[in-house]
Amino acid sequence: MKLSYKYLVLMMSILVFGCSDLEEDPVSQLSPDGLFNSVERIEIAANAAFGNMTHEDFWGRKTSLALMLRSDMVAIGDPTTSRRRIDHDDFNVLADNGMIPDNWRRSYQSIAAANQAIAGAELVDVPDEVKNPITARAYFARAFMYFHLVRQFGEIPYLDEPIATLDEGRTIGKTSVAQVYENIISDLEFARTWLPNTQRARSIPAKSAAHSYLALVYLTMGEYQMAYDEAKGVIDNEGAYELGLEADFQNLFNSGAIDSSREPIFALDYIGMTDGDEGRDYQPALTGLRDDQQYGIGGGWSVAVPSLEVFNTWDGRDYRKAVSLDTTGVFNITNPDTEAVTQELRPFTVFRSSGRGRGVDRPHIAKYTRFTGATAANNGRGSQHNYSMMRYAEVLLIAAEALNEVQPGAAEAHGYVNRVRARARSGNGSNFPADVSGLSQNDFRDMVLEERKWELAFEFKRWYDIARRRLGSEVFSASGLEGAKPNFDPNQDYLLPLPAMELARNSNLEPNNPGY
Amino acid sequence: MEKTKQFRRLLLFLFGLCIALQANAQEKTITGKVTSKADGMALPGVNVIVKGSRTGTSTDFDGNYSITVNTSKAVLSFSYVGYTTRDVPLSGANTINVALEEDLAALEEVVVVGYGARKKSDITGAVSSVKSEELNAFPVLNAEQALQGRAAGVVVQSNNGGEPGAPISIQIRGNTSISASSAPLIVVDGFVGATMPQPNDIQSMEVLKDASATAIYGSRGANGVVLVTTKKGKKGRLTVEVNSNYSVQNTTNKLDLLNADEFGAYQRAINSDYVQGAADTDWQDLLYRSGSTQNHQFSFSGGSDKINFYASTTYFNQEGVIINSEFERLSFLSNVDAQVSDKLKLGVNLFGSRGNRDGVPTQTRGGRVTGGGDDVVSSVFRFAPDRGVQDVNGVNTLNSVGEDIDNPFAVATEGVNERKTDNYRANLYANYDILENLTFKTTFGYSTVNQTEGDYRPSTLTATAGGNPGGRATIDNFKRTNILSENYLTYKTTLGQGDLTVLAGYSYQKNTTQRFSTGAEGFVSDSFSFFNLGGGVNPLRPTSNFSESEIQSQFGRINYDYDDKYLLTATLRRDGASNFAENEKYAIFPSGAFAWRVSNEDFLKDSDKISNLKLRLSYGVTGNQAIAPFQSLGTFGSIFTPIAGGNAANVQPERIANPNLKWESSFQTNVGIDLGLFNNKISLSLDYYNIDTKDLIMEDSSQSEFLGFLDPTSLRNVGEVNNRGFEITLNTRNISTKDFTWTTDINWATNKNEFVRLLDGEDFFPPSAAPAFFNVNDNTHILREGEPIGQFWGFEYRGVYQGGDLPEGTAVLTGNDIAPGDQLFTDLPDEDGERDGQINSNDQQIIGDPNPDWTMGITNTFTYKNFDLNIFFQGVFGGDIMNLTNVLLFNGDSNARRAVLNAWTPTNTNTDIPRAAIRGKEITSRFVEDGSYVRLKNLALGYTLPSDVAKKIGLQSARVSVSGQNLLTFTDYSGLDPEVSFGVVGQNNTTAASTTQGFDFGNYPTVRSVTFGINLKF
Repeated sequence: MKLSYKYLVLMMSILVFGCSDLEEDPVSQLSPDGLFNSVERIEIAANAAFGNMTHEDFWGRKTSLALMLRSDMVAIGDPTTSRRRIDHDDFNVLADNGMIPDNWRRSYQSIAAANQAIAGAELVDVPDEVKNPITARAYFARAFMYFHLVRQFGEIPYLDEPIATLDEGRTIGKTSVAQVYENIISDLEFARTWLPNTQRARSIPAKSAAHSYLALVYLTMGEYQMAYDEAKGVIDNEGAYELGLEADFQNLFNSGAIDSSREPIFALDYIGMTDGDEGRDYQPALTGLRDDQQYGIGGGWSVAVPSLEVFNTWDGRDYRKAVSLDTTGVFNITNPDTEAVTQELRPFTVFRSSGRGRGVDRPHIAKYTRFTGATAANNGRGSQHNYSMMRYAEVLLIAAEALNEVQPGAAEAHGYVNRVRARARSGNGSNFPADVSGLSQNDFRDMVLEERKWELAFEFKRWYDIARRRLGSEVFSASGLEGAKPNFDPNQDYLLPLPAMELARNSNLEPNNPGY
Repeated sequence: MEKTKQFRRLLLFLFGLCIALQANAQEKTITGKVTSKADGMALPGVNVIVKGSRTGTSTDFDGNYSITVNTSKAVLSFSYVGYTTRDVPLSGANTINVALEEDLAALEEVVVVGYGARKKSDITGAVSSVKSEELNAFPVLNAEQALQGRAAGVVVQSNNGGEPGAPISIQIRGNTSISASSAPLIVVDGFVGATMPQPNDIQSMEVLKDASATAIYGSRGANGVVLVTTKKGKKGRLTVEVNSNYSVQNTTNKLDLLNADEFGAYQRAINSDYVQGAADTDWQDLLYRSGSTQNHQFSFSGGSDKINFYASTTYFNQEGVIINSEFERLSFLSNVDAQVSDKLKLGVNLFGSRGNRDGVPTQTRGGRVTGGGDDVVSSVFRFAPDRGVQDVNGVNTLNSVGEDIDNPFAVATEGVNERKTDNYRANLYANYDILENLTFKTTFGYSTVNQTEGDYRPSTLTATAGGNPGGRATIDNFKRTNILSENYLTYKTTLGQGDLTVLAGYSYQKNTTQRFSTGAEGFVSDSFSFFNLGGGVNPLRPTSNFSESEIQSQFGRINYDYDDKYLLTATLRRDGASNFAENEKYAIFPSGAFAWRVSNEDFLKDSDKISNLKLRLSYGVTGNQAIAPFQSLGTFGSIFTPIAGGNAANVQPERIANPNLKWESSFQTNVGIDLGLFNNKISLSLDYYNIDTKDLIMEDSSQSEFLGFLDPTSLRNVGEVNNRGFEITLNTRNISTKDFTWTTDINWATNKNEFVRLLDGEDFFPPSAAPAFFNVNDNTHILREGEPIGQFWGFEYRGVYQGGDLPEGTAVLTGNDIAPGDQLFTDLPDEDGERDGQINSNDQQIIGDPNPDWTMGITNTFTYKNFDLNIFFQGVFGGDIMNLTNVLLFNGDSNARRAVLNAWTPTNTNTDIPRAAIRGKEITSRFVEDGSYVRLKNLALGYTLPSDVAKKIGLQSARVSVSGQNLLTFTDYSGLDPEVSFGVVGQNNTTAASTTQGFDFGNYPTVRSVTFGINLKF
């Protein structure tokens, strides 16, 4: 009767919701199935490898800051900064140092992205000539990341394909340093073979990038003939690769000028926008002077500040010194009587007392604060800098250093250094640094390492130079730029510890590096 | 009619029952009146049924009834809630008047349990019941808050002090989970996972604590269940009720900070060039104000034989004690029940609310906004007192020391943060008596929450959103819908000397959540607020997502009460949840309970001392499936990837699939005793429980990070945690005379929790709980086997270095030069017993435990004639607090506590406070404090107008009250307030993160209030 429809409703409610298979359909998330069906998809997968490089965990802060602090040129400024940073500067690092896991994880995330792109490329059914130039970017990225890892950690797990199950992941152990290098070289050779001579931007690796990195890898391995050959190959292709030295050294650190420069070979190109710590660099904040008003970024944090000896020993005529260091800052000074605030220029000798007490009375690094471009956050965080991972000047210096080892005192080697020096001089018209000539092998070697020190100052290269040339006992002695570093142990400190938690997760990684 | 029969047959067939009923006709009409034996007043609504038949009626407003019987041998049964049921044989009479006696034994509250109700005396599990009078003893922001201190083992805490609109978290019997939620399931009028209604609309709240009570909720029962029943209309006259209250609120406490001159001197001791500003600002005075709340509720209710209804609307408004923070809410509730036919009852429950919160930033972690955070509350303490609000140029001042932070007055007055929340729920039910003792109930409900939060930081806040152009606007929105259908049969019968109740049902629920957020920076004008995102120069990356989860279940319960002496309950629920992995979608949750009513045994029956004695024992398994959807699937993700000047499309492996992710299961044992003495003048309940939560879901840290997944911490079942505790509830009716009564209610609870198993015995460190600008973002809490959840992790402070040799076993922080007046810390020996002479991460140790030893609540209620007085104390004992605020207020680069005036100097060496200097913000035992407190939560005095006076002025009743909340607090804690909650606000602002408790930083101040209330019934 008239009530019966109500019963129907009741029945309906049972039937309508009667059964569900409880399967999840995550529309807002990406599933791996059927992803790789075009060359564009390979490129998208390869892009992720580069995205990870720009993360705070890696070049944005954790990796780059550790490299800087471990060198003999940059020390902790603000002593109240976090302990894990101070421990790098002082060689007090323990296996649970808080900076290392992020660096480690992010490096492998970049590698996993590259592995996924490389594995995905095999599913894309187009000729090698079509897809390999794209896939080669992933090869380059993988080599680039492993090269950082092997220099920092020595023996490491080497993965070259995606992991599907956890059990698969648990069986992996460490791969020898020699094998890692062999794989890096093989990847770079693939990249050098397939990448085009040039790309539309230097943040995309071109043939020049793979070529130059091969030179640096061989140099690091002490394979000087190979290093020279590869570097020479780049120099010979200077025109085809569209390379050259930037006339004004300052432009290399000017976010507004760098995009059109021919000098960068491979760069991480920050764009002044970030998603949290993704795509965010912290160098302007870390190296900037606390409470400094001159660049409109609200000052830096004075965390990584060159030791005073860097300033004292660097020849004042060198244009690169003026580009690399700030010796003055601008502070808001309150007049105690009127309370009016005026901005005053102050020398580095009174940096601390001119600000709020956490600055430090030493010249600060200027390369990353002077021309940041738009920034995503205060203190210059999230700048528009392009960080050259490799620039042409370094290729010239690699060629010079390597050639000197196989042909002591070669004039050609002198010539490469002099090209770099000539550019330095052109900045301020001074006659410093003068051309070199007729040096012995030993003198040349010392000279070229010094040249790298000043030319590439604060560009995160110095620690790797110290490590590959085993300079620690010398540069961390009392006569070093930062004075005696009693904790430095040459049997331990050239390598970082593998993160303690990673050893706990997978005992195949035992033992940790010596001393940790 | 034919259709109806067919349908009934279909139903009967469906449930495998087929019973034919026949009835003989030999009719006779009986009339009479039912009164209360105590006062002779007529009782309306008494059920009158012919025993053994389905014939029944109820008394009218004057207590009269009329019923037709078909045999002169019939027995009439008169039953009424709160009275003893009387059976009267007809014996030929045509008129039967009955006086019912009040049923004392059963002072018999009926207690709501999952999918039904039981007499309290028949309960076998651990259930705390909180009645309307207790909930409304004093005005509260929301109903959760009213539970605080009311039920043993139930910990209730605001997620942000006295902030207007702050969510309240409830925790029952400790932390049973660490990654999944520890919040209980809220069930309102049968709607699972509902929003709490207004306290004035609540009839009762039941807190189900043990597995016997909660297992019927299966995979959602592990954290306990709070059942809420809203008010219904009563048969009889229409009642119109007006409740109004108004309170004046103030902060409970102010910190003793340096004034401008002291601050200047202190800073000059650190930095001799410090230039003291000319201002002398007490930021606390500037930001705090006298707040207020007002709450107005209007309701009307009533009913007839066939229909009853309750409708209410409530307006709530709170002006917070910090300037520019306020909250208002308008809500309505209506309940309608209709007896459509003898057998069919239909009802609907509607609820809706609109909340509007204007907030100021508190408890912020600082990372996203600016180097030093923009937290108003901590800035009030940290900001230099020698600076004014604006400098001579009219620009908002920044702190003169430490990180750049905008002054709190500017942040509070110039920033905009507005959250609008709409909440709607409709729940329909139909109750059909298939047979006299077999009932089918079906409910269908729908709820939706829609919340939009807009935020604007103007360019005038230079540290937060300065720039040219500056300003930052963001909008976040989420919308959650929840559909629920429940269907169950209840069968009641007698079996031997006992009553048997059998319940069986099926339930389906689906949740969907949509979310988006977007924003922009760089506005030419601050007047757009967040209403013109297109006007921003830099768009912020927009995000959106969607998630969906389903749960479907079968459940059943059997209650058997043998001779009112032995009570048995057995429940079983089988749940399937989409959140869980391919291989683990379904699980079964059984429980069983037994109770023995010793006092009903012959040897105690006539005892004049023991009026009630019941022993209870229960064991069962419940689950926790409160994890986000899609967690077990392998997924790809992407990150922000700047390449060639733009953000490049990218994709990479995000998470490895875990086809075996399953429920956390809690194995719960509960042993309880209920004792009533001297006619229940004293009633005591004791409960001991033990909860083993296995397959604890944690972010898996056993997955090697070198595998390279973007999210290397996918959820896995990797641990076991044990909670055990003891609860006492004691109610005494101390004095009970005609004019004066005094009752005392005490509840006391202790809970101990411990990790039984964690990973493979490895320590686990949850993400740092300190704000980003503390720079101590390594570890602040530890999870370790054999230890309670969330211990503080840091260095042990050993006082001030006095010069000379370092005291044995101590050292100073690495990288620091040693000077007299510095902090000393314990230098722990390594495995070989060697000390390295430095303070580094090897020297971190457990330095505090935030878990309280015990909690209690004591309520004394006095009535004298028409006056009543309610005094409620609440206490928490033994939990530690990490005073992060003090870390800043002693580290030299912010304003400071006056205690720094006693800092170490060469002439003041006998002190615990190191010399004035700028220091790091390490987590050390120096800032760990005892968080114990006792608080006079409420003191309320009420006066009820005598009923004859009320009637004269046309009222049913009238009551006025004045009360005070948080009037007194006894604590040694040096911070603003010992009820701390920094960093416990989890997802959706509702769940508490149990792993990082006990940190105090930037909490909105707890308020003290004085409230005036009036209640009128027409």
